[in-house]
Amino acid sequence: MDLSLNDTQQLIQDSARDFVRGSCSREALLEIDRKPQLFMQGIWPQMAELGWTGMAIPETYGGTGNCATDVAVLFEELGAGPVPGPLFSSAVLCARILLDSATEEAKRAWLPLIASGERVFALALTEAQYGWSSQGVKLAARGEREGFVLNGTKVFVHDAERATDLIVVGRIEGGEGISLFRVDAKTPGVTVRPLAGFIAGMSEVVFDNAHVRGADLIGQGGAAADEIERALIAVTPVLCAYKVGGCRAVFDLSLNYARERTQFGQVIGRFQRVQDHLIHMVNFLDSARWTTYEALWKLDSGMDAASSVHVAKSVSSESYMRACDYAHEVHAGIGVMREYGLTLHTRMSRSLYHCLGAPKTHRQRLEKVLGLVNG
Amino acid sequence: MNFGIEDSAEQGAFRDEVRAFLATAVPDNLEHAIDPVDMSYEQYQIRRALGRKLGAKGWLYPSMPVEYGGGDLSAEKVVILHDELSRVGLALPPYYDSGGKMAAPTILVWGTDEHKKRFLPPICRGEVRTWQLLSEPSAGSDLAGVKTTAVRDGDVYRVNGQKIFVGSSHGADYSWTIVVTDPKGERHKNLSWLMIPMNLPGITVQPMDLLATGGEAGSGSGVKNAVFFDDVRVPADHLVGGENNGWKVATTHLEVEHGGTGRLADRRVIYDFIEMCRDRRDGYAICDDAGARAEIVDLYIEAEITRLFALRNHWLAHTGQPRSYEGAQYSLRRKLSGLDMAEKMLRIAGPCVLTKDEKWGPLKGAIEYFQRDAITALHPGATTDIQKVVISRRLGIGGREKEKAGTLR
Ligand SMILES: Cc1cc2nc3c(=O)[nH]c(=O)nc-3n(C[C@H](O)[C@H](O)[C@H](O)COP(=O)(O)OP(=O)(O)OC[C@H]3O[C@@H](n4cnc5c(N)ncnc54)[C@H](O)[C@@H]3O)c2cc1C
Repeated sequence: MDLSLNDTQQLIQDSARDFVRGSCSREALLEIDRKPQLFMQGIWPQMAELGWTGMAIPETYGGTGNCATDVAVLFEELGAGPVPGPLFSSAVLCARILLDSATEEAKRAWLPLIASGERVFALALTEAQYGWSSQGVKLAARGEREGFVLNGTKVFVHDAERATDLIVVGRIEGGEGISLFRVDAKTPGVTVRPLAGFIAGMSEVVFDNAHVRGADLIGQGGAAADEIERALIAVTPVLCAYKVGGCRAVFDLSLNYARERTQFGQVIGRFQRVQDHLIHMVNFLDSARWTTYEALWKLDSGMDAASSVHVAKSVSSESYMRACDYAHEVHAGIGVMREYGLTLHTRMSRSLYHCLGAPKTHRQRLEKVLGLVNG
Repeated sequence: MNFGIEDSAEQGAFRDEVRAFLATAVPDNLEHAIDPVDMSYEQYQIRRALGRKLGAKGWLYPSMPVEYGGGDLSAEKVVILHDELSRVGLALPPYYDSGGKMAAPTILVWGTDEHKKRFLPPICRGEVRTWQLLSEPSAGSDLAGVKTTAVRDGDVYRVNGQKIFVGSSHGADYSWTIVVTDPKGERHKNLSWLMIPMNLPGITVQPMDLLATGGEAGSGSGVKNAVFFDDVRVPADHLVGGENNGWKVATTHLEVEHGGTGRLADRRVIYDFIEMCRDRRDGYAICDDAGARAEIVDLYIEAEITRLFALRNHWLAHTGQPRSYEGAQYSLRRKLSGLDMAEKMLRIAGPCVLTKDEKWGPLKGAIEYFQRDAITALHPGATTDIQKVVISRRLGIGGREKEKAGTLR
């Protein structure tokens, strides 16, 4: 047993930490928040340069073929920012779907472009009846001579506004099951509309007679439910690691604040009530961390990781949200000033709560894995 | 016991009277900004005008004495008034005003006759609006540690310092401000309260950008500000409650702010949310899911408890009974249950609760606002920790003598 990072992971952590401190300081992230276009201009090319867009992609397809834990170590640092954006959607989630399900030709066509950062993919799965399973999918794909015509609406699609390509989940008319299509985001009939409010990086994507070629059907038509499920198990812990980073950042921020801020002539960290908040936070942080990294280890060791993945996703989503709550308790007034930066995490913790399936969904899966219900 | 509020013909008639009044007094062009920060100046003026109409009847601050422009209404009638206003999406007052809510009950206790006659009627009639200025960058929970000074200079006090997280949008006529009048004095014996006219030279108001503004239903506070005083000369007779007696005055103010005078809870957004969960579209309703139903029921139960704490405080206040921990208890409950409810909504309804998008954001964005506001509302008035400190002292936890509630009328 050895629960420490190996040398490669240590290097990844160091360079990611430097990058986040340097290019993604609080001021920089607040600036990006005000002017989202700055991200793809400034941050994204640097990420590609560092090789991060190719980490989860095998060498054959232009990446560096790192294991899930390596990738997660990077995402923990990004979560500490929180650095927003399409790296997870494109280079982890969609890359995985292509790797698992696409034809060799499609893999050769798209994975190297994802690995280099030239193309940015996002997954358009969820619809009005929200959920990360195939059940809610209604988007219609009508077969025509050269390919398909897509009609329907996707919503709460993460990173769509930064994507060059979408992997769209739809139903082929007259066929069984659901299918995956690669759609160029510039295809006529495709409209991406970012959603406003206390929400980070999600859009509505409308398909109004959008034509795709037959070759853009990814995987076996009709089998997408299993294809997505398999990919989700493989990538979910990486997103969990991002939330671990978020928990760590808000904990560190709060701990430091509790050491510096004085009220009633003493640092507030002396008050047991403030200590309680911080203890809750460190418990959330460590719960998220260890459930996540064990799930990653199982994945990397080729073990059945399902139960651990469901535990990790339930725990990390809940932990990040609640850690932010306690960070607000510790900070009181200053924490709700947008310029302070804590609210970037608060919003992210809510926005990612349901991403890849809410804790409730993962708990229901766990019921099955544990043999508590049939099916 | 009787929880009913309408058990006499007189009360029934009062409800009819209020309803008829509102039917003509509330103008058609009154709009309800979901986020109080979005309330325009025109809309603010419309609300002020409505406030003056309510004030003329003594209904703007219905619990204040008639001689100072209040209504001196019975507990039941006040509930009816709130009820009817909330039916049209309004609260008392229909705009942010710390003057009637907190300064007036405090002046009633600590002001001289002259202060009461001068300050209270314009407040109660809705002619002026007042902000409360307590917090400073280095003094939040530790209110007694404020640093803004007011130094006596002939017949004025010269005020210097900075307040934060105060007020709202579109200005105020007065600021009800706690200051240090004896910089060398002992803690708690060095403070005073000034009613500062906001048109005096040397006052600068600078808006703050917050996650939300933590307002009450129907009268959210709008943009919070930092206020700077640069040698502002305040007439000495604007000092209320006696020089260096400000801490005692503060305990009254805080008692009121924490809800010790009773508050009628209106969390309409919760009932609207439950309604939304019942709403069936394309053959699907949120409440079809057993897990969601269980959480909705929890939400409802939490709302009931909070409502009853508020009602109890209202009854205690209107019947002049002794109070101790109840104000802080209500405040704490409201804060913690608000956050918990917001998170339940996120769990139940999914990411739609995070957007105010016209098409996807439920209840015209009211739920999205609630998501932000529930976090922000943990802090105004006093943090949850401080509410717990107050409750503990009032209950005498730890064996020390019980602390008394701040003096109320
Ligand atoms: C939206 C909003 C509206 C507001 N409106 C107004 C207003 O109109 N007028 C006004 O004057 N102020 C207003 N405030 C300020 C508010 O009253 C303060 O934010 C609040 O009292 C906390 O002070 P602080 O932010 O300085 O936090 P701090 O006092 O620095 O608290 C930091 C942490 O220390 C804890 N702590 C401090 N002392 C103790 C203790 N003795 N025991 C245990 N824990 C302790 C706190 O609970 C908190 O967790 C508003 C604030 C907000 C966010």
